[in-house]
Amino acid sequence: MAQALFTQFLTGFSIVAILLIISLGLAVIFGVMRVINMAHGDFIMAGAYVAFVMQEYFKLNLFWGIPAAFLVVGLIGMAVEWGLIRQLYGRPLETLLATWGVSIVLQQGIRLLFGPELRYVKAPDVLDGGFQVPGSNLPFAWFRLFIIILALGLLFVTYWLLYRTDFGMHVRAVNQNRPMAEVLGIDTRRVDLFVFAFGSGLAGVAGTILAPIKTVSPIMGFPYAVDSYMVIVLGGVGRLIGTVAGATVIGESETVLAFLYNNVIAKLLVFTLIVMVIRVFPQGLFTMQRR
Amino acid sequence: MGIGLSRRYLVVGLVVIAVLFCFPYYAGDFRMNQLGLFLCFVMFALSLDLIWGFTGILSLGNAVYFGGGAYFVAMSLKLKYAATNPARYGSGIPDFMEWNGLTAVPVWMRPLESIWFAAPAGVLAMGLLAFVFGFITFKRHIYGVYCAVITLAESLIFEELIIEKQAYTGGFNGITDYGSYSSNITFYWIILAVTVLFFWFARRLTTSHFGMILQSIRENELRSEFFGFEVANYKIFVFTVAAMMSAISGGLYAALNGIVSHQEIGPLLSVEGVIWVAVGGRGTLIGAFVGPILIKGAESLLSEQFAWLWGLLVGLLFILVIVLMPDGIVGTLLRRARRKRALAAGRQPAYEPAAVGVEETPTA
Repeated sequence: MAQALFTQFLTGFSIVAILLIISLGLAVIFGVMRVINMAHGDFIMAGAYVAFVMQEYFKLNLFWGIPAAFLVVGLIGMAVEWGLIRQLYGRPLETLLATWGVSIVLQQGIRLLFGPELRYVKAPDVLDGGFQVPGSNLPFAWFRLFIIILALGLLFVTYWLLYRTDFGMHVRAVNQNRPMAEVLGIDTRRVDLFVFAFGSGLAGVAGTILAPIKTVSPIMGFPYAVDSYMVIVLGGVGRLIGTVAGATVIGESETVLAFLYNNVIAKLLVFTLIVMVIRVFPQGLFTMQRR
Repeated sequence: MGIGLSRRYLVVGLVVIAVLFCFPYYAGDFRMNQLGLFLCFVMFALSLDLIWGFTGILSLGNAVYFGGGAYFVAMSLKLKYAATNPARYGSGIPDFMEWNGLTAVPVWMRPLESIWFAAPAGVLAMGLLAFVFGFITFKRHIYGVYCAVITLAESLIFEELIIEKQAYTGGFNGITDYGSYSSNITFYWIILAVTVLFFWFARRLTTSHFGMILQSIRENELRSEFFGFEVANYKIFVFTVAAMMSAISGGLYAALNGIVSHQEIGPLLSVEGVIWVAVGGRGTLIGAFVGPILIKGAESLLSEQFAWLWGLLVGLLFILVIVLMPDGIVGTLLRRARRKRALAAGRQPAYEPAAVGVEETPTA
């Protein structure tokens, strides 16, 4: 029992990793633009379909699917920001509703292109099988380890972008005080555009690595998107640590509780926990003082 | 006076009611049932309009209350049906319970066998749920996108719960085959009567002093608070009332439709309701009537042939309405009319902000 629980706990980190990749994109977008993207789940789904197309039509494995999905979904995100979200600037609830429209359109579009049936994507052969966790006899799949490493890598890239580049400085400035950043000559529209594209691209990447674990279908993304909204609510915005903490708490407690009870009870408990937490910290656990 | 309507609107309203009343005589059973279902959606949209259009709370989870009311009624009818037709399933308990290994109706479910208990219990239970939820969130100034996202998650979780607990809820298939009230002209009239009652109530509520405060909360929550109104209490009240209205409409829907499934409780219907209100015109009661009738009507006409196109069309329509017509169809028409009247009378048209209930990024 204890050992099985520990295995579950380790497996949980791959769930956390996926959730982290999804939420990173969402958190950066929300931090800068104050916009919740209801189509985020469908960006995940689009990423999974990119992986499927790469596999079926180009005979390229998932290692190619990941950058391809980042580019394709990033471009979709760019188009959505440019064509829609920009038009609704300063109206967060309207934007939320409009992106729900985008979500419907994306789902129907994919359904028209690929049909409603489930699709399957293979993990790269190199990552088949697993290994034993050193010092014990617990099995662990290579692919799950790969997901964790990828998530850490993307976390590092995001950190580097935000805190070590000029562009990141602009992003943080807009995050803290948009009018002031504008006054200081920062092209906030450009910041919005690229932040949205980057966040969407990350959702696409999450979709590709979900594809081999789950079946690919037009409606696959929504539950993950909802989980990542909860990450934002719990972790707060403006600091990466909040997203990491939120993803870890939600991902781990859902996996462990799902093992102890079942999936749905786990979700219900985690949801109750989140509601309790935000009663005490309405802005989430980690929030930067906004000026 | 007393009803709070100008004579013009009263006449139009009475004509609409008369047309709806006579509808069964010239449309046949199928269309009558369909319109009955649409009227249930209208009531649901009306409750959403109260909280979103008038108070500015965007909830993406109110189907929970609609579906909750529906499940109470459907469960009650099903228990009754199984008990009175024991030959049908063999042991006098609902089929899905039997499939899942139950041999008798659980004790805590027994009272539901009486519809006179189940229906009010469902409405009260949903009111209580909404009250608790509202108390937790609104007292802590959780607003805007946070509220939207949390209610969305709530809706999703309840949907999964319904699917999971299939021994008690019928699971993925829902509750079916319980002898509905479809093709029953009296029941159609009952639905119509409740709809009219709801509109009268909503009209009274929104034109009252209380309704003015709700709208001031929508326009500027912080300022309303500074005026000394306990904003959270107003929000909790209207949220609870709307939930109970949703539950009533859900219960009528279940009794008419003869099948209730997890979709009636999940995010899909929750957001669809918001779409109806947005397209019809938020903050106008007529919009809550026009939206669902228009969209569901067009859906049933079009999707018989173009099911694949329909989803795409709704998505695009919704985007276009949000971007170009934030007041919805009715709201835009009313605004035009006001402007025209003012110009005809040689007055400067009153200043009106971009759209009703548009929440700007809070700066505080």
